[in-house]
Amino acid sequence: MSLGLDLSYLERSSRGEFDLGWLRDTKSEWGVRAVPSKTGLTMRDIFIGSYGEVPDHAPMRTMAPRGSDVEVGVPDMGYTVNDKCEVWSENVLDLYEEAVSRQWSATRDIPWGDLAPLDPDVEHAMCQLATVLSEVEMVAADFPAKWLWRINHEFVEAKMFLCTQVMDEARHTEVFRKRALANGGGLGKATAVIERFLQLILDAESYDEGSALMHLLGEGIVLSLFRAGAALSPSPVEQQIFRLCMQDEARHVAYGTMHLRYRLEKDPSMAADFHAYLDKGEEMIAMIFSTPEIVEPTAILAAGSVEAACELGAAAGDVLRLQIVGDYLKRCDHAGLDRRGRLHLPDAIIEGVPGAKSAVTV
Amino acid sequence: MGAITAPFPSRPWFDELVARATADTAAIERLGIAEFRFGMEILLSDGSRQEFGLVLDGYDISAEGPTTEDAFGPDVVFSGPLDAWTEMIGWIEANGPADSGHSLNGLSIAGIPFEVRSSDAMGSDKFYRFMGTLQAVFDAAGVDAPVAAGAG
Repeated sequence: MSLGLDLSYLERSSRGEFDLGWLRDTKSEWGVRAVPSKTGLTMRDIFIGSYGEVPDHAPMRTMAPRGSDVEVGVPDMGYTVNDKCEVWSENVLDLYEEAVSRQWSATRDIPWGDLAPLDPDVEHAMCQLATVLSEVEMVAADFPAKWLWRINHEFVEAKMFLCTQVMDEARHTEVFRKRALANGGGLGKATAVIERFLQLILDAESYDEGSALMHLLGEGIVLSLFRAGAALSPSPVEQQIFRLCMQDEARHVAYGTMHLRYRLEKDPSMAADFHAYLDKGEEMIAMIFSTPEIVEPTAILAAGSVEAACELGAAAGDVLRLQIVGDYLKRCDHAGLDRRGRLHLPDAIIEGVPGAKSAVTV
Repeated sequence: MGAITAPFPSRPWFDELVARATADTAAIERLGIAEFRFGMEILLSDGSRQEFGLVLDGYDISAEGPTTEDAFGPDVVFSGPLDAWTEMIGWIEANGPADSGHSLNGLSIAGIPFEVRSSDAMGSDKFYRFMGTLQAVFDAAGVDAPVAAGAG
């Protein structure tokens, strides 16, 4: 394959005979002077003029920066996601800035030195929860990474946000692995049922399907787990871990919710497809409440011991269940997808959630 | 640094809280940018209520109120009885940064004693997105409780 090396130009330029076509004849918009806002020069600040115009359908499939003067003959990169509505959300520029600004370090920002010995069962519960979370978080890096190279460069802001998600999830995997290994415990059990859930996301046939399953549903569930983890933390160490992860996860969920909203606004006929994705995906919610490796560590952390957890029964689980299902339905509402009357969840899972009705006998 | 001397709830109390939280600008910047209008509703024993607001705008933090929900336009409203507010603040004043049982998150996750109310999902998700900053503000009520660098 020839890269188009111009040997004659090498000779001319060595004699000082410059081309200067790029300097004189470029057709991109010139004279742009983006004004920094009070936090610095943000992506929103430079989303101006022709550079803030994102085409509904990408005119080419190149890596050329949007708004640049693209030379004839640039290669086709073979992108498969070429419509803005497939990846865009109205909040994606701001979420990117927020993500960059609120990065943290699992090495530096967690007070690891403050970890204290815990009751052995509580330590085991924390390690089991850390095992599950270390396992599930990396799929939320794998999925965007799988699709990033297929997304047209015209939608670069969405790609940049997904890059921050990849970094966030790497850090979540890191911090929970570190927690499992930092206080006398170790990793716990990895289960087939959780792996099948991860496979469902990773094997999604479209970005739409995977984003609905992951950003909206799966990460919504994990966000509730993080929130519960922060509330049940046995020490400031775990509280800080869960709080920081919660902030990151909520950004991803905010993207997923607003992406679905944008998608449905542009093409309401897609609602049937998303209902079908979520019919399948809602089994994940039921799975959360039928997986001992998730239910029991959470109950033990809430109660403080195995014995107290047994006495407490389903009370702690009910708080988590109502939050997961309630928040999920609110996000669907905000996106413009009414799931309340057609949930694919057993009655036992949706009991007590306002307006929720099961469409299936499970 | 002692407890805030202004009575709670009052605008001077929230102004002092914000002043303490923002005293270390580097620590605030380390927490990261935020765009959030946090409504606070204090339910009094006589059935009335007082409402205040915290505005997170980039790296700036400010208090508003007394106000109303309609006037302030909050992303979420954090609502609870006066006793619960004073107990939470008193614990922080006595012990420093809130533990999990005395944090904004811990005290609202079950809907009691505090309720988090929002008109849509994006509001409640902002409560989660900016929890570290919010908690750092309230932790500033504590004796010797400056905003910790890296505590996002």
